[in-house]
Amino acid sequence: MNLRQRIKEVMASELMLEVSVEDIADDSPLFGPNGIGLDSVDALQLVVALEKHFKLKIGDQNKAREILHSVDTIAKAIEEAGLA
Amino acid sequence: MPDIRRILITGANGVLGESTARYFLERDPECHVFLGVRERRDKAQAVVEAYGDRAFLCPLEITSPDSWAETVRQIESLSGPLSVLVNNAGFHDDALLANMSAGQWAGVLDANLNAVFHGCQAALQPMIRQRWGRIVNIASLSALHSPAGQANYAAAKAGVLGLTQSLAKEAARMGITVNAVCPGHIEGALPAGWDDEQIKAVRRNTPMRRFARPEEIAAVVFFLASVEASYMTGASLKLDGALV
Repeated sequence: MNLRQRIKEVMASELMLEVSVEDIADDSPLFGPNGIGLDSVDALQLVVALEKHFKLKIGDQNKAREILHSVDTIAKAIEEAGLA
Repeated sequence: MPDIRRILITGANGVLGESTARYFLERDPECHVFLGVRERRDKAQAVVEAYGDRAFLCPLEITSPDSWAETVRQIESLSGPLSVLVNNAGFHDDALLANMSAGQWAGVLDANLNAVFHGCQAALQPMIRQRWGRIVNIASLSALHSPAGQANYAAAKAGVLGLTQSLAKEAARMGITVNAVCPGHIEGALPAGWDDEQIKAVRRNTPMRRFARPEEIAAVVFFLASVEASYMTGASLKLDGALV
């Protein structure tokens, strides 16, 4: 399974999403009305889930906003940290 | 649900803290209890000696976020992720508001409200990872009936009830429940300045005609920290012998 697919699987299981993995596009925004509609509590869970499953630590809040923009940006952060 | 419950109780050298620690250790033979203490630790030490393999002393400065982070980290490395937090530590420093110093105000707010904020924040990470957690905040009847001479304490404890409800909503979908208990007067923990006449008068005014035994409060904390209390969150339970 490729990295982006694994991220989607983790999101679906950890956040108990009502959308299916197939409906999450790599570049669609995760937050806000034009995305899959995650909220701030989901963001908190997602940060913890990314650390648990990919060892990706996101300490800085501004950085979190950039990284958690989409599946693509999360994948990029994991790859840049050498954790893929 | 974690394999075993790892329970951190602050103020574990006090009457209620010690009693709660013993209650957990006696009724859940699998659990590990971490007794948060500061300088005074004789009663907590006695618990550790009685349940050596499952009870641990935990030096903790509740007003310091760094101390909380270190404590939660140590629990994790010693036993595993924290799953139950009982925010019990606190104190009151009574004065009429007209005479209350800024230090009295700030000190009581810091120990009784800010410390609960720091504790909850530190405990959330391991609980989110486990998708299970129980936070029980020990508030007070003073949060509900705000006696004269306790503006600082009543404000802090009322703040704890607000924090409890907000956090309950934030944490609900992660399998974490957050509840508060509001005990009335507890045997062995009556205000130091009370004389016999005052004690008799308060007992007379309590419909149950007695003060709570610490284990009666501990029993409710134990329930709120249980698997069975899975749909109860954001609640504030009054345990006062019908005083209010």
